[in-house]
Amino acid sequence: MAKVLMKGNEAIALAAIKGGVDAFYGYPITPQNEVPEYLSKHLLANGKVFLQAESEVAAINMVYGAAGAGKRVMTSSSSPGIALKQEGISYIAAAELPCVIVSVMRGGPGLGGIQPSQADYYQATRGGGNGDYQLIVYAPESIQETIDIMKESFDIADYYRNPVMVLVDGLIGQMMESVDFDKPVKERFLPEKDWATNGTMNHPGKRNIANSLQIDPKALEQHNIHLQEKYNTVKKNEVRYELINFDDPEYVIVAYGTMARICRSAIELLEKEGISVGMIRPISLFPYPKEAFAKIPDKAKGILTCELSQGQMLDDVLIANNGKHKVGFFGRSGGMLPDPEEIVEAIKNFNERVVK
Amino acid sequence: MKRITFLTGYYGSGKTELAINLAIQNQVDFVVDLDIINPYFRSRELEELLNEKGIEIISSDMDSKMHLDMPFISKKIYQPINNTTKRAVYDLGGNDQGAKLLRQFDDYHDEEYDLLLVVNIFRTETDNADKIIQLINKIEGISGFKVTGLINNSNLLKDTTIDDVLQGEKVLQTVSKKLGLDIIFTSIWEDIVIDDNLNVSGEALKLKLYFRKNWF
Repeated sequence: MAKVLMKGNEAIALAAIKGGVDAFYGYPITPQNEVPEYLSKHLLANGKVFLQAESEVAAINMVYGAAGAGKRVMTSSSSPGIALKQEGISYIAAAELPCVIVSVMRGGPGLGGIQPSQADYYQATRGGGNGDYQLIVYAPESIQETIDIMKESFDIADYYRNPVMVLVDGLIGQMMESVDFDKPVKERFLPEKDWATNGTMNHPGKRNIANSLQIDPKALEQHNIHLQEKYNTVKKNEVRYELINFDDPEYVIVAYGTMARICRSAIELLEKEGISVGMIRPISLFPYPKEAFAKIPDKAKGILTCELSQGQMLDDVLIANNGKHKVGFFGRSGGMLPDPEEIVEAIKNFNERVVK
Repeated sequence: MKRITFLTGYYGSGKTELAINLAIQNQVDFVVDLDIINPYFRSRELEELLNEKGIEIISSDMDSKMHLDMPFISKKIYQPINNTTKRAVYDLGGNDQGAKLLRQFDDYHDEEYDLLLVVNIFRTETDNADKIIQLINKIEGISGFKVTGLINNSNLLKDTTIDDVLQGEKVLQTVSKKLGLDIIFTSIWEDIVIDDNLNVSGEALKLKLYFRKNWF
């Protein structure tokens, strides 16, 4: 397949098909509607399952069931819709089932608005569901990167038996770029799904059970310890980030997704004015690329966290920085996108964010 | 350009960018935004720019609150059609669903109009002549209006070369021959370097990308 022009949401859908998705369950919400629209047309035509559920809660529980049966499944939604799915997401993480959840963020809180936002960083990385669980979260900045990550996400989910969230904002969902679907992704050895609840043919007399209820506290703690060990392996193996303009920068910006694109332009503008600014662009939000912060030169004047929110990733930046550098913050929210010039000003008037 | 120009096409084919460019270059009086499908990048977002150029925008949103996600259409959309001294570009939503909105103009078939199909062959649903003809049939069937011409808007945004434009022209020439429709415009993004002797079908339309910011 040569280069084609695709809208982010369509690309997510086609990449899911290329990634081998067997079933999609979802409920409409702007600005991600082109994902189910595209899949409704193309999954059914290929003998796969597309189902518009009666609600987000129903959809995520269908994902739970189909993932338990060993199929490659996904759902997609946007901010308030993802909020509704949290209970099911916690159950899926608890039962250690693989699935891919696409979250196309819009302005919040509450119903908010339909314009792009990054105010669901906490929702993605801290979880709205209960318990000590983690999603593996990727936040691509371009449609090509979204495609590559989508294709790989199904493998990563299967490998770790854990939900993977692909987190983009409405702009990446709605904008168009020329893309190539045939870029190869990393191959992984994936063991047989001998845990799947798909009958006893391969293990007569032994029934598999997908479950998140564990009423023996000792066993539940053991399960929690096991999950933490798994998350630690994820932290060791799956960190992804990009360093931009990191040749002795005066300041360092930390930004992901659409905000990173805006910051790239700001960095070019600053360069013209003789101010050298580098950028850490986290691609994986969990695991967070803490090690990247060790590469910031000691004499750097400060770190500016830029988000389309009132400051959520800022927490992870403060943890990763561990008091070493001054940390500032620039954010827009509610669906407002800054011009690169606003970031330029924020660097020129760098202020440490004072946490009271 | 006819007094009334309707733009239709597969969604994501570039109708809105073309509508804005055609309106500005031809100094029409109105841009009518009939897109009830797309939540982002709608012509109403450029209201200020168009007003500066003396073009009024009639939008399908209540009082141009552009971030509403409602299939609402203002009655004002009849103004340009009824006032025969005015010229207008109508920007329809994508696909046959978007073209369905033309049904409300059933009484106006006698007006001087063009219904132009915008095609980008790098959109997978319109990447060959058969698919394009199928789309035309669907649009004509659902709208009750005949497509009167084609616009070659084949591009890969920032990655576009003139060869991509010409590749689109080839596909559209096949459609043109089969259906007897002319290619009225060939759009070429202003940043593409072209040979002075280059000949394209129809009028070459230098395109400025109004929605695209430098960072995307």
